[in-house]
Amino acid sequence: MKSIWLVVGAIVLLSAVIAAGIVETVKPRPVELIPTLTQQPEYCLTCHAELEEISAAHPVKTFGCVVCHGGERLALDGDLAHSTMRGGANPSDFSVVEQSCGSEQCHSGSAQDRRDHIQRATTSIQATYAGALANILYTFGAEPDLTARYGISEVKDAQVQTVTGVPGLLTFEAASFNNPFIEQFSQNCTTCHLNAMPAAGEEYDRFSGCSACHTPLKPRETTADGNIHRLTTAMPYTQCNTCHNRGNYDLRTMTFVPRSDHPTDRLRDYYQPIAQFVKCEYTLDCVDCHTRIEAMGDGDLHSSKKDIQYIQCKTCHGTLTELPRTTRLNDENDIAFRMAQLNPVVELKLGDEILMTAKGEPLWNTRVQPDGTFELVGKATGQTFRFRPVMGSGCKQNIDQQASQYCHECHSVER
Amino acid sequence: MQQPSRRDFLKLMATYIAGLAGLLGGYGMARFMSFQSEQGQSTEFDLGPADAFAVNSKKVVTEIPAIIARDAGGFTAMSLQCTHLGCTVEESADGFACPCHGSRYDSTGVVTRGPATRALPHLRTEVSAGGHLIVHKDEA
Repeated sequence: MKSIWLVVGAIVLLSAVIAAGIVETVKPRPVELIPTLTQQPEYCLTCHAELEEISAAHPVKTFGCVVCHGGERLALDGDLAHSTMRGGANPSDFSVVEQSCGSEQCHSGSAQDRRDHIQRATTSIQATYAGALANILYTFGAEPDLTARYGISEVKDAQVQTVTGVPGLLTFEAASFNNPFIEQFSQNCTTCHLNAMPAAGEEYDRFSGCSACHTPLKPRETTADGNIHRLTTAMPYTQCNTCHNRGNYDLRTMTFVPRSDHPTDRLRDYYQPIAQFVKCEYTLDCVDCHTRIEAMGDGDLHSSKKDIQYIQCKTCHGTLTELPRTTRLNDENDIAFRMAQLNPVVELKLGDEILMTAKGEPLWNTRVQPDGTFELVGKATGQTFRFRPVMGSGCKQNIDQQASQYCHECHSVER
Repeated sequence: MQQPSRRDFLKLMATYIAGLAGLLGGYGMARFMSFQSEQGQSTEFDLGPADAFAVNSKKVVTEIPAIIARDAGGFTAMSLQCTHLGCTVEESADGFACPCHGSRYDSTGVVTRGPATRALPHLRTEVSAGGHLIVHKDEA
């Protein structure tokens, strides 16, 4: 009887060894990558070889995956490999962005070398939501004026550099104001800042953090394995519209009321039905006019978007008495070249003359033409647009009225 | 010839099966023990016979990556790894350009446009006793 059990034991042992061998055989062979930047082997490509390059500025051969995403670089088991990833599928979420996208050479550099993206973005009005909070708190009597004192989270600015900058914001806690409207606002109206996950619905579909803008989900583009793996500075207006132009706040009920129209064409989709706009405002994309300072902040905390938005029609068109500001590219290290490199819709050359904003930001996708007209190439569409200065035209503008509403009086588009 | 007893037969079977399991297990263990997860990248590149490089010629070797030049004075090797973040630079009309962040270098490797701030390094070269050109990734 004992001999039978010896045989059974031996068969069980052999079966276990064979089973272990089979399991090992069917496991994927590790595909090793040693990124130039980290010199640390990683096996992520074993499963993710089909993933497209995220951008020309972040080639996988140089960066690898782990420097941005985190994770267990040598694990071959999916759950283990992903267990320590930063921000899940989105390493640009502001809770982890410093570890993922930071470092002096990347996006935590200085204002002088214009690599302070994280500092600017995390203090921007789009991240703090300070403008909306200040408005609501003032409207319902919780604050004496429209100066921002609260943000989505506490943040301080040790170096206030602008006249509208504020030194710090406290964390907005709706319950502390003992006001039902403010509490309702907190519950219903705080999904549009860069720290927030979006509201439910395909029209609001976006990531948080940097990827809220730089990883466009609309129109939906998926890679072979179903993931979206893209970073771009060529954001189409549809991505901006996942937050903007989606509807209005009803202050009586303190709820968000989505726009009820469902347009399928750009003319009607771009702005809400109540908006007035001119042709260039909807044929261009938002990023063709609005600059990196306007979108990502100037490093200061502000109380209102009015403190940071400064592009006007005259930035490109000038006025009856002044041509728009321009700059000639005489320095190889001009930031215009760096920005054109990231989105090569134009090939800028030394000596080119381009438009420049009142704050000295280069509109690198424009060029002054020999005949005095201007050319702009759409950052997202690649379309070329030609336009003239107001000076010398038949425009009847009042020179002191340069806000867009005055231009809209004659030039707005009918829908 | 005497027939083995049932007990002896079972013992023999158990021995063979356990032995086979031991052999397979031992093979697996040997594979496990010999696995090298971090082989590291080569720092030394044998580019074959030095005579294959004509005098006054240049050749890009992508696996280093570097551009190898030979003149009457001998060999020089310049790294083609951008000193900003390490992307491989490409030859352009006036030198080298980095496709990642736009750094530019002249034909001698000096930075002409940032964000890179350091020149492309020149790598150490030697001709081996067997006449092969060897390029080392450390700087010359």
